[in-house]
Amino acid sequence: MRHPLRLRLLLRDLAAGSAFGAMAVSGQLPLWALGVFFTALVLALFNVRLVARHSRLSALGLLVAAVLLGLQLTSGAMNAVVAACSFAGLIAAQRMLSTPDAAAEGQTHLTGLLMVAGGAALSGDMTYALCLIAFGVLASLALALGVVEAAVPDGEPVPVRAVMRPLSAGLAFAVTGAVAFFVLFPRLNWAMVGPRSAPGLGAVSSAGYSNTVRLGGAGTIKGNPRVVLRALLTPDPGTDALDAYWVGRTYDTFDGLEWSNVVGAQQTERQITLRPASDTLLHQRIELLPAYGARTLIALETPSRLGNAMAHTPTGTRTSPVQLQGGGEVRFTVTAPSYTYEAYSLPPDARAGLSSALLEAEKDQLLALPTRLDPRLAQLAARVLQGEKEPLAAARRLASFLQRDYAYTLDQEGTSADPLSDFLFVRKAGHCEHFATALTLMLRTQGIGARLATGFFGGTRVDGGYLVRAGDAHAWTHVLVPGRGFVTVDATPPSHRSSQGPVLLEKLLAIYEAVEARWRNSVVDYSFRDQFELASALVRPPRPPPGARESAAPSRLPPPRAWATAAVIAFLVWRVGRLASRWTGRAPVLEATRFLDRVDAALQKAHVPRFEHETLEDLTTRLAREGHPLALALTPLTRRYLEARFGGRALREGEAEHLLATLRRALDAEAERRAAKPASQTSPTARAS
Amino acid sequence: MTQPARVLGPVPSPASARAVMERLAAQLGRAVQGKPEEVRRVVTCVVAGGHLLLEDMPGVGKTTLAEALARACALSFSRIQFTADLLPADILGAQVFHAQTATFSFRPGPLFRQLVLADELNRAPPRTQSALLEGMAQGQVSLDGQTHALPSPFTVVATQNPVDFSGTYPLPDSQLDRFLVRLSLGHPAPDVEAHLLTTRGAASPLPSVEAVTGPEELASLREFAQDVRLDAAVADYVVRLARATREHGDLERGASTRAVLALGSAARAQALWEGRDFVTPGDVRAMLVPCWAHRVLLRSAVQGVSARDEAAHLVEEIARKVAAPR
Repeated sequence: MRHPLRLRLLLRDLAAGSAFGAMAVSGQLPLWALGVFFTALVLALFNVRLVARHSRLSALGLLVAAVLLGLQLTSGAMNAVVAACSFAGLIAAQRMLSTPDAAAEGQTHLTGLLMVAGGAALSGDMTYALCLIAFGVLASLALALGVVEAAVPDGEPVPVRAVMRPLSAGLAFAVTGAVAFFVLFPRLNWAMVGPRSAPGLGAVSSAGYSNTVRLGGAGTIKGNPRVVLRALLTPDPGTDALDAYWVGRTYDTFDGLEWSNVVGAQQTERQITLRPASDTLLHQRIELLPAYGARTLIALETPSRLGNAMAHTPTGTRTSPVQLQGGGEVRFTVTAPSYTYEAYSLPPDARAGLSSALLEAEKDQLLALPTRLDPRLAQLAARVLQGEKEPLAAARRLASFLQRDYAYTLDQEGTSADPLSDFLFVRKAGHCEHFATALTLMLRTQGIGARLATGFFGGTRVDGGYLVRAGDAHAWTHVLVPGRGFVTVDATPPSHRSSQGPVLLEKLLAIYEAVEARWRNSVVDYSFRDQFELASALVRPPRPPPGARESAAPSRLPPPRAWATAAVIAFLVWRVGRLASRWTGRAPVLEATRFLDRVDAALQKAHVPRFEHETLEDLTTRLAREGHPLALALTPLTRRYLEARFGGRALREGEAEHLLATLRRALDAEAERRAAKPASQTSPTARAS
Repeated sequence: MTQPARVLGPVPSPASARAVMERLAAQLGRAVQGKPEEVRRVVTCVVAGGHLLLEDMPGVGKTTLAEALARACALSFSRIQFTADLLPADILGAQVFHAQTATFSFRPGPLFRQLVLADELNRAPPRTQSALLEGMAQGQVSLDGQTHALPSPFTVVATQNPVDFSGTYPLPDSQLDRFLVRLSLGHPAPDVEAHLLTTRGAASPLPSVEAVTGPEELASLREFAQDVRLDAAVADYVVRLARATREHGDLERGASTRAVLALGSAARAQALWEGRDFVTPGDVRAMLVPCWAHRVLLRSAVQGVSARDEAAHLVEEIARKVAAPR
């Protein structure tokens, strides 16, 4: 059997790597699967076929892994999609490391396809698309090379360049065409980068804003660094870390497991006023990004007015009425991947005369307790408060107690009948929803009105605005203070309020977000109107500043930047033309030329002295004139090459190998002869001219 | 003179063509000793069907070479000594009035031979020089409205002294372009000169030159040379070389299309030396300087021998720069 082509194996393994990357970008694969696959990939790239001789043993290992994954699946510790994806990755790793025969080829590509499909189920953002493109290109190249390699008879060289050149050109054309389509018809392609509903939430979930607050569940909440919200604040606070509460909705009723509201939808308007306005309102222009995935409007605490919402749907941008729901939640009535809207909020220290506006039913709900509440809760609250009755002071005392004595964790404890007492008296560790729920209910047991608020905490400054990540999702407590309204008290330890990503990941993500933002703004969101505006901005003379005098004779010529743009475009066209002409002007690579390349390589390896630009023909002539012993071997070879290249008599099958073998023998003999000779009698050496 | 035996046969092969050429070169080598390379170039030029320009000092054997060529090929031969007062009619011939019949008849000049030695061509004024043009290009002579065919094969071997010698007219470019190859023999090596002195003395070497081929064989050899394969890659190489001369900063005028064609036929004949029926880039490079050095026009004002050397040097430099097809 012939030796498989190294380039093809490289392409195949890289294709499998891209396919795996399509799944890995979702961040949901278990760490060990990542480790196993990437170790296998690196080994395969270095041509270490680790399990080539132990295929049965490794197959057994796969079986064990399948059983383990199945166990995790049935125990609810793993989502079915994630388990399937992990297994596909393991199969691909095993196939990559085994003997590269035809069966392994096919199976590797097949698992590649499976992994891409799995990636589509898990993620589906821009990085996934890039991985998908990479997989398509690499796998196509590898497959085509494999077909050609199988068709070439044994002993003949595989025409790698002749295959790769047109194929790469074709693939480049296809990818460019796809990108061009994307750019030309941005709206049609909205859905491709549009919203991805959260993947089938099994036990593994990622942090983000959700429509319910439910304690309990098993597994781990993963920090999710995707950006969900971008806001421009007026007046600009100017700080790097905003550390503010962005509220989405509040809850007043807890049934022991889940929070809800007693009041349903109330009104649908273009604009909704929640609180009386003050003369120092904080204006926010907010964009909700597809990673947000919900319809609730978010605003800085405490929102006063929300409205002017635009929904960016696949078919275009349109205004969306907003609807007031219970718990102060305002929702878009139109479903869209992303929205922009405006919000006015009261400054942090403003007093909102809200309590008077509350309905009686709502007021009652602020003290409502679940029917089956653990009595220890009230005892614990009373013990901590030690008679403190002032609502705000009591809340703060309880919050600092919780922050001090309870640990923060994203590991979920599993399903429990009473997750709250589980948190308070058994595990003594939980996440923000546990802390906020505990504080709210402990206050209520002491006759102090309180409710749960959900939204985000944080805000990182980028480009003069602020952005909020999915991992910043948070829950906290609103304490009803007579005469002041609701006051925010947060029981979660301060260092765990916003997302806790690794610094490097955050930095990488910042770069990614910047690229994606540019991509969205200049490609996906790029409409014909934008194109027209750009073109007119390039040609239109700049507007004189309002105060400036009109110049005596306004020029009718286009402004300098129009000329500059035209020059740049002309230069680019010229360069591309040059490049294209060089590409098309190249002589086709022929069998004889490849033979010549191999002869040249053999001569170079044997250190046969050679002038610069000396062709094989010249070299042979020179050696023959000098009476060099190599001339004897080179003359028939050179003649055959010349015949094949310029004489129209192609090399016969296996002839190149035969000629090369003769040459190698002659070179070896020459090397021996030289080694035997004393050093003083060296053969003529080359001048570097 | 007896007709030599034909070697080429009815179906010439590269090997038989090479044999004929080797025999020719051997005969010429008797007349011009110690110059094997130059002798081979002369044979190449003749086989390619081109005219030859020998440019050299007087007394290095230019005339001997031409006469030896005529003898070795068994061609009818004439020698025209070009002088400042030579007139076109002296070369081409003239209408002669016959008093008895009161008619004119054409009396062919010395040009009507198969091999014409135009000795010291640049001593004649341009008008006389250009009388050769039509004959060299078309193998015919037009006189008084009548066209007279020249014998076939028709080859001109011209000699010229370097231009800076007094009393010479530089050859017009159109004339130069019609010579396939320009060669200079140069002085023989000292040992060859000493050998000549001891063995030959003043005796002419020409009688020792035997006829090894004839006009018919030469004609079929030329035909065969025309059919030597020139691959598209090699053709492209020649064209790229020509373009390089045209774009070269030191050259006022590069290789013409006729120069490109000339190089092609010279390279075809050169390939026969290796017994090949196809042209390689090496053949092209071998004939490049003899074929093109006299056809390019330098920008600088140098004249004579140094101009010749510089042109050859520039063409060589271009050959180094233009990549040969692989």
